[in-house]
Amino acid sequence: MTGRFMRSMAGAALCALLAAGAPLLAAGAGPTDADLMADASSTGDVLTYGMGPQAQRFSTLNAINTETVSKLVPAFAASLGGEKQRGQESQPLVYDGTIYVTGSYSRLFAFDAKTGEQKWKYEARLPDGIMPCCDVVNRGAAIYGDKIIFATLDARLVALNRNTGKVVWNKQIADYQAGYSATAAPLIVKGMVITGNSGGEFGIVGAVEARDVNTGELIWHRPVVEGNMGTLRGKDNGITGKLNASWEGDLWKTGGGATWLGGTYDPETNLLYFGTGNPAPWNSHLRKGDNLYTASTLAIDPDTGTIKWHYQTTPHDGWDFDGVNEFIPFDATINGKPMKLGAKADRNGYFFVLDRTNGKFISANKFVMQTTWAKGYDKNGKPIVIPTGRPGAPEGAAKGTSVFSSPSFLGGKNWMPMAYSKDTGLFYIPSNDWGMDIWNEPIAYKKGAAYLGAGFTIKPIAEDHIGALRAMDPKTGKIVWEYKNKAPLWGGVLTTAGNLVFTGTPEGYLKAFDAKSGKELWKFQTGSGVVGSPITWEQDGEQYVAVMSGWGGAVPLWGGEVAKSFKDINQGGSLWVFKLPKG
Amino acid sequence: MQTTDLGRRRFLMNALAMSALGLMPGNAFAAPIAKVKALGVLRVAVYKDNRPWSWRQDGKLIGIDADLGAALAKALGVRVDLAELIADESVDDDLRNGVWKGGLLGFQPADIMLHIPFDRGFAARNEQVAIIAPYYRETFQFACVKGEIDCNAIPSQFRGHKLAAEIDSIPDFYLMGTFGGILAKDVAHFPSGADAVNAIIDGHAEGVLASRAQIEAVLADRKPANIARRTTPLPAFPSPGWDIGMAVKENSRNLGDSVEAILTEMAASGELKAIFDRYGVTYAPALAA
Repeated sequence: MTGRFMRSMAGAALCALLAAGAPLLAAGAGPTDADLMADASSTGDVLTYGMGPQAQRFSTLNAINTETVSKLVPAFAASLGGEKQRGQESQPLVYDGTIYVTGSYSRLFAFDAKTGEQKWKYEARLPDGIMPCCDVVNRGAAIYGDKIIFATLDARLVALNRNTGKVVWNKQIADYQAGYSATAAPLIVKGMVITGNSGGEFGIVGAVEARDVNTGELIWHRPVVEGNMGTLRGKDNGITGKLNASWEGDLWKTGGGATWLGGTYDPETNLLYFGTGNPAPWNSHLRKGDNLYTASTLAIDPDTGTIKWHYQTTPHDGWDFDGVNEFIPFDATINGKPMKLGAKADRNGYFFVLDRTNGKFISANKFVMQTTWAKGYDKNGKPIVIPTGRPGAPEGAAKGTSVFSSPSFLGGKNWMPMAYSKDTGLFYIPSNDWGMDIWNEPIAYKKGAAYLGAGFTIKPIAEDHIGALRAMDPKTGKIVWEYKNKAPLWGGVLTTAGNLVFTGTPEGYLKAFDAKSGKELWKFQTGSGVVGSPITWEQDGEQYVAVMSGWGGAVPLWGGEVAKSFKDINQGGSLWVFKLPKG
Repeated sequence: MQTTDLGRRRFLMNALAMSALGLMPGNAFAAPIAKVKALGVLRVAVYKDNRPWSWRQDGKLIGIDADLGAALAKALGVRVDLAELIADESVDDDLRNGVWKGGLLGFQPADIMLHIPFDRGFAARNEQVAIIAPYYRETFQFACVKGEIDCNAIPSQFRGHKLAAEIDSIPDFYLMGTFGGILAKDVAHFPSGADAVNAIIDGHAEGVLASRAQIEAVLADRKPANIARRTTPLPAFPSPGWDIGMAVKENSRNLGDSVEAILTEMAASGELKAIFDRYGVTYAPALAA
């Protein structure tokens, strides 16, 4: 207690010192809505999570390329310090000579982009009653004007002055005592901060919300489970879907569908794209119906918070296949017709291409070795489910039969974002090949009371790898190349006009691959596992690459055979920045 | 957490003194009996929001487990430090957070945790703790509003009547799933069993399936005249009931031995029953006791 108090006092003193120097900078100046929308083409900064609201994670920079990347060396590293290491899943932002990066335990750091020296840091004071399901991670911040904004584990949204680290506003977005949390990077569209919600406890309902970026005041609220009422400026704004159309009884009131990974935005169609989590309760036999709109991608009008279309990737989920993954807008010519499309690599092992203007199904192709739950998708976009692949209903008497299910509940792809290259026309998917044995567990207890639970063990399905970085052609559904990794991949991907693809590994490497062939061209050992998302930008005429290092996230929380692949990886917490040597 | 900052500071100072004497064990906080006595405090983990066992009323932490924890500390001659733990997905997780490892966000392991199922199969897969001192036998029960439902009828006859249950519990699974799921549309879900019992008293439902302790405690508190309880077993009900005990860290067995001796004495003297009586719950000895 005393230690924490003293640290925060030191922080306050530091802030005061910096504040004294702040008048040098014009108040309110900084990135505008237009700047954020143009982030994908502006090379001198990284203003958004995903390097553009479409989150393609593609840079037009090409000084670092297949010819030069072998010479890439560290410019500096910066430690997040303290004992609070754990998983660093963040993507840094870069603006005006500063790198902003969030850290585990809801911290935000500002580092000098030239020297790596710390300018300020903010540590959220977290109540000890939080039960985050999957490590104490944070995935990134959003920048707007003079503010930098991020979400905290106790389900708050905090806006700081980006020059001083002082709190501008701090809003509770959900009740952590009711099981809600927040780890995703906020999305800023038209002066609004758009967020999803997260939480593993029963009783929660997924939602997307928009707040005024200057005050944090709620503008609209859109629950993602049918039957629940949305709001716009304090007034009812229609219920989501149709009451009891795909849910029985009152289960829609607690139907799950947490939107825990945030969303993307496409200025062309003026649509927000948010993925939704799995339905609750976990036992699918108790909730007949498709359970809309869980395990889906939703297109939402940012001006009103109404749902324009939906596509459900896993109807009536019984495998924990969250549908939260990023939906990335891209354009391509299909059957001779130029189309506005979007793609998503789902937990369930399939890569989906949809018409992003109306949600119409174009294709779904497997991007993992094995899917035991479905044979594929029919032309209407419905999965051809294998009935024996669904885990059984729990029964009291004895241990139920074990079902082998692949992908495991951690998914063919989990939270880690893929990238799309405008040059190669390929998506680069950080995926994992693993399955699980799942069975009814009669000797189960919850909150001190008897319970009918499920037991499971995750296991590899190949001898030589779990992780696989795969290049997917969205037009053909074919895997063009793959890179296999022993440990599960858990970090984001970056691709550049230098014909490169970057991603990190739990073994501690940041690696660069030839975007066309998949040949590994460069690697650097960062000292701990890399589970963050790399970025690139240009500064003083040189191209830089940065990534967070710090092993953690959900994978180490599960043991079994999979744990053997990462048992020797140490924790950490550092920002690494690279560039080519001068001259 | 009930520990005040002042209390915590004193505790830390004691810990420093201990460490100066070379008495600190490898894990400073889960201390066997000698250390508990030397520090003068027994840290007892109880569930947060677990009426009638441990919950807050007007800001005060009360309940059967809260009182039992205080009684154990008193018998050991030390102060009690009741720590409220938020339930995780399973009791296995709670044992990790509450007893042998601690929480991700700084929850310090307790010396002892109450309300832990006393079950051989469960104990076998939780090797880091010793599960001891079974002190109660819990079962699920059905209660109903007189005149609305015949409590002893075949459950399929409850169709069309609102039935209350705690969400994601055995009562929930049973009502939603049995008899081909014909009652599924009638189930009203509540965050806790106590809330579900209150719902039939307040006219929001006509039947409730909850633990016997939850039903008895709420009925004793509200004293409604129109509630009946089922006297025959529910057909194909998956849980025969379970024993509730306590957990200490595996290397704190001598603390466990002391607590078991205290509990035996409390059962013999009627002190244990008196704690249950205080909350309107009929004391039922554990089958294993």
